[in-house]
Amino acid sequence: MTSPSSILGKAGSLKRASAERRLLAERITPYLFILPFFVLFGSFWIGPIAASFGYSFTAWRGITPPTFIGLQNYQVLWNDPRFHTAVSNTLLFTFLYVTLANALALALALLLNASWLRFRQFFRTAFFFPMTISMVVSAVIFQMVYAGDVGLISKLGAVVGIRTPSWLVDDDLAVWAIIIMRVWRTMGYYTIIYLAGLQTVPSDLREAARIDGANGWQIFRYVTLPVIRPVMLVCVVISTISALEMFDEPMILTQGGPADATLTVAMYLYQQGFQFLQLGQAAAASYILTLIILIISVVQRLTIGREQQ
Amino acid sequence: MSQSDNVTTNDAPSPLWQWVALIGVSCLLAVVISPFVWAIMSSFKERGDIMSPGFLPRTWVFQNYVHLLTETSFLRWLLNSVLVSVGAMALGMAVCSMAGFAFAKYKFYGQTVLFWTVIASMSIPPFTTVIPLFGWMAKLGLINTYPVLILPFAANAFGLFMMRQYFSTLPDELLQAARIDGCSEIRLFWSIMLPLARPALGVVGILIFIASWNSFIWPLVMMRSEDMFTLPVGIAGLNSEQSPEYGKIMAAAVLSSLPIITVFFLLQRQIISGLTHGAVKS
Repeated sequence: MTSPSSILGKAGSLKRASAERRLLAERITPYLFILPFFVLFGSFWIGPIAASFGYSFTAWRGITPPTFIGLQNYQVLWNDPRFHTAVSNTLLFTFLYVTLANALALALALLLNASWLRFRQFFRTAFFFPMTISMVVSAVIFQMVYAGDVGLISKLGAVVGIRTPSWLVDDDLAVWAIIIMRVWRTMGYYTIIYLAGLQTVPSDLREAARIDGANGWQIFRYVTLPVIRPVMLVCVVISTISALEMFDEPMILTQGGPADATLTVAMYLYQQGFQFLQLGQAAAASYILTLIILIISVVQRLTIGREQQ
Repeated sequence: MSQSDNVTTNDAPSPLWQWVALIGVSCLLAVVISPFVWAIMSSFKERGDIMSPGFLPRTWVFQNYVHLLTETSFLRWLLNSVLVSVGAMALGMAVCSMAGFAFAKYKFYGQTVLFWTVIASMSIPPFTTVIPLFGWMAKLGLINTYPVLILPFAANAFGLFMMRQYFSTLPDELLQAARIDGCSEIRLFWSIMLPLARPALGVVGILIFIASWNSFIWPLVMMRSEDMFTLPVGIAGLNSEQSPEYGKIMAAAVLSSLPIITVFFLLQRQIISGLTHGAVKS
């Protein structure tokens, strides 16, 4: 005959067993949930990023196994005038593009934020439109805008009687051609982000400033700008990183020419890696690019993000 | 988007300036739209007409489109692009939502380290990964196959971040109640949490689709035969031919943009918030 207490004990241990199973399940479950993501992320991002660092110290031509050569790849890059050109071009591109894109986007956002402007909603969508066209297609289209005789610009020039220069074969103009195209494609995107920031500016604060006799510029400088500073930081950082990685536009519009005037680090890396199969050297170049990106991002955070604290 | 609209009416400039501003913005918009209009015009021009000084086609012809569809593998590239982007989107939505759920609703060993590793990886240029992956994929015989274009885009760091943020806004009580009712962890995720996270899931899907659809260097390196090209690689190829046929290239530009433009006008709100959400939230 089983005593009531032993029945109770059995039930208790059963309950405990199921609670333990439950706990075990809860402990394993999160790992099962993250497993698929991290299998992919490990093999396509973390793994290659780490491996690339290793390969940057090797001579690796793709087919043969890599051999360790120490810092030689970095030394070669240090002495390669083409790499210097690529770095200085990339920095110039980035500076001009980031300044122009952010200034225009902010100005447009201020205008599109004004309540008295008609068709605001339409404009917001319409300016965003180029962002939906892929970078490659934009580049191909802009080739037809810049082209010497058949281009839109030269035809417009002919109407007014001006002979416009050939954008893509002139050293200086080719740089601007690429920047203008990039600004064209992304301006609407940054405008939308700035607009979201402008919407957080309390209108009574602006009103108070106006009553105190502040003019438009003063209101912008001392009321609006401090509030949208975090959004500005985001826009500047995103546009900087994307410009430092620029590849598609020079690849299609100019192939890095004329005379390497539009050669970027990413293009250099592609040529070294996949045209000359110097994969080790390309890996070293990619790490230098990473380093440049990190340094510039930190500097921007410190300067633009400064007054946040 | 219109919370401060009515409050600021009293800083409006005179009607004259309002019109000047409106005309200015319209002109800027005209400049922004003109390259695309120009591409459309050029795509309907005859071969010789492209060189002539006029802006409109002298006679509207479809020959560029006919040549594009008959002489090149355009439709195949379109099919490849659609397959790869939809594949990456579907797989990405699955893995990002599962991982995001785990990061938001469980506590586990290594959680913080793993999460910050993912976040930190976002600032490393994707070019860094292309070099070793090229060698590895060649060894595995995956060069020139669909999986190589789908898998890397599915593991989207920002997608994981967004899903985690969204799931952590959902109340924990929901989970506890379901667990007491004996609901399994899988069902908890699939039938309770995931339907609630649909807005974030849509945004992540759009993000991954666009990233995959637009990507250039990755398929350029990984795809070796013309029938495996995606649209960007195929169009760039047409463009780098010895004597490029501009009419045909413009036809390709227009035709390849049409699906995306259609989707954009149908889902503009979601797409705009998808592409800008991250920037504003992070």
